[in-house]
Amino acid sequence: MGAYLSTFAPCIPTYLHATLLAGQYSTPLVYCEIKAVFTNTVPVDAYRGAGRPEATYLLERIVQVAADQLGLDPTEIRRRNFIQPDQFPYQTPVALVYDTGDYESSLNKALETSDYAGFAARKEASKAAGKLRGIGVSSYIEACGIAPSNVVGSLGARAGLYEAATIRVNPTGSISVLTGSHSHGQGHETTFAQVVSEKLGVDIDSVEIVHGDTDKIPFGMGTYGSRSIAVGGTAIVNALDKIIAKGKKIAAHLLEASESDIEFENGSFVVPGTDKAKAFGEIALTAYVPHQYPLEDLEPGLEETAFYDPKNFTFPAGTYICEVEVDPETGVVDIASFHATDDFGTVINPMIVEGQVHGGLVQGIGQALLESAAYDENGQLLSGSYMDYTMPRASDVPSFSVDTTVTVCGHNPLGVKGCGEAGAIGSPPAVINAILNALAEVGVTNIDMPATPHRVWQAIRNAQAS
Amino acid sequence: MYSFDYKSPSSLSEAVAMLQSSDDGLLLAGGHTLLPTMKQRLASASDLIDLGGVSELRGISVSDDTVTVGAMTAHAEVAASSDVRGTIPALADLAGGIGDPQVRSIANSDPSADYPAALVGLCATVNTNSRSISAEDFFTGMFETALEENEIITSVSFHIPKCAAYCKFPNPASRYAIVGVMFADCNHGLRVAVTGAGPSVFRVSEMESALAQSCTASSIAGISISADGLNSDIHASAEYRAHLVTVMAKRAVEKACASC
Repeated sequence: MGAYLSTFAPCIPTYLHATLLAGQYSTPLVYCEIKAVFTNTVPVDAYRGAGRPEATYLLERIVQVAADQLGLDPTEIRRRNFIQPDQFPYQTPVALVYDTGDYESSLNKALETSDYAGFAARKEASKAAGKLRGIGVSSYIEACGIAPSNVVGSLGARAGLYEAATIRVNPTGSISVLTGSHSHGQGHETTFAQVVSEKLGVDIDSVEIVHGDTDKIPFGMGTYGSRSIAVGGTAIVNALDKIIAKGKKIAAHLLEASESDIEFENGSFVVPGTDKAKAFGEIALTAYVPHQYPLEDLEPGLEETAFYDPKNFTFPAGTYICEVEVDPETGVVDIASFHATDDFGTVINPMIVEGQVHGGLVQGIGQALLESAAYDENGQLLSGSYMDYTMPRASDVPSFSVDTTVTVCGHNPLGVKGCGEAGAIGSPPAVINAILNALAEVGVTNIDMPATPHRVWQAIRNAQAS
Repeated sequence: MYSFDYKSPSSLSEAVAMLQSSDDGLLLAGGHTLLPTMKQRLASASDLIDLGGVSELRGISVSDDTVTVGAMTAHAEVAASSDVRGTIPALADLAGGIGDPQVRSIANSDPSADYPAALVGLCATVNTNSRSISAEDFFTGMFETALEENEIITSVSFHIPKCAAYCKFPNPASRYAIVGVMFADCNHGLRVAVTGAGPSVFRVSEMESALAQSCTASSIAGISISADGLNSDIHASAEYRAHLVTVMAKRAVEKACASC
């Protein structure tokens, strides 16, 4: 825990770790005991993935070891144990209920994009150049959009886990979205605007996303745990539904029709089967210039707020395949290729999602190969600057191959699952499994992260000595 | 940082006079080591004498058998110089591999700096305002050189070798040399000079003799150097550094032979 507890520290190795230990598999029983200890070091807290990378690392390393001991291909042992598509919703032995997923599809796609079948030939080519080549698989699952509030409250959390959104339709028909999901590089300005644009049939340029200024926005919870689209996005959708419902009342009045006969299609309120229609902009203007308006039954204006508290987590999952080339003379590990296939549910903006995966993979690879908070025995930090703490650089990672499969989330209106942390969660065991696959022929059976050149060289040397 | 007077001489003689007349003057020649040290109050100066405006300390010249690099010549200029590329490509490569392009001094004998391997490997002479010192006599220990009070390096003259190559294993974080080996075949014989591994640059005579018999990478593959006295930190133990000396030396020999 470090020298004292920080905000989230005890939650990470417990609720966000043990609950993920079923992984993608139909393991009937899971037992997990956690010991939390104080140390004379800096307190720990949440870092991209928080608990889920640790669970995935533990599980996907065990699966690899089991495959090796049983003489099974690492993909075959996974295939045999995957929860099958017809088993959803699936109650795991560690509290969670997975709503949807198709793990074999992700695996199959990753095998295809990585040319898994051609590995043996590539290994031979590396061998001819004096290098050891290895391939590693990791099939991860994560839980995003932690919820519901009452459940986490019963587990000791002291905050709610909803998100808030206000949709303010301006008299001109432009839209201001006030969200509690802060955007600091995640691209909410684009993704949220796409959601609004698509739902209301308005031009994306007329949608403004307002976040971060607590003088303006409703009280929300923020951006963390890959929740923004699944929780914040759903709050926006729910507020939009209220806007459309009110718009129908206004349209019914203007069109002299029954409210139940009004449909909202392609940006217009229409009475199906007739030529009666009012464009969204007309309704917006009418709401603020309520001359022809049911003032006795309806307030003027067009602004709605929704607070959304999810019923369940979302469960992004996927398979990562990493190929490495190890220089046995120096211990340097080169990542020859990295293929990611993720199921994030419905994808709203593929480029932003791909960017999130790239960033996550770099962080995960950084953890697997480079980054180390090193202390001496007195608790003095030895890696206190970037002269000693190895942040991953562009030259440390390959050009990623990123792909998706889709099973739609069953309990939010967008069908989304979240993509912010997946790369950091799924990648470390893929890298370490690949390194150990490469080093198997020189007798190395275990290595701890980060697999720095020094550590890899030492492992080879120790194996040779024994 | 403690307070100091900043001085900006425009000639070498002016710089020497300022140094002599100051209580505790220090020379600013880039400042990548000096300024952080001053900021941490690990160093202080009565006068900081900036050599940046002393134009006679800049420039590269080539004679029959030597390349002379002015003491204030930027690494980027050495890396890009067609004169250096044409005579000692290994030196241009070494200069090009120092830090980032923007950051590209031997005067403080930093154990993880690249240039000391070039100076010793290429049988260089360090020229000062008062004398010439052979590279091997110049580096006397960790952060220690043969420079005396009020002595300023003006240039370094490198012997043009038949062939040479520099291979380094960079620190994964800082990219300084954990081990850097300059192999050179010049008129003074074959040299294997190692930086990064020990407190100061050193030669590996056993490798040099083996290469004199047979100048191939395989002739030194079996020569391991002792880890005693080598540097050790969180990135590389002394044993790992010792191992890397052989690996980098082999690679430097291979690279040099390929260009011969």
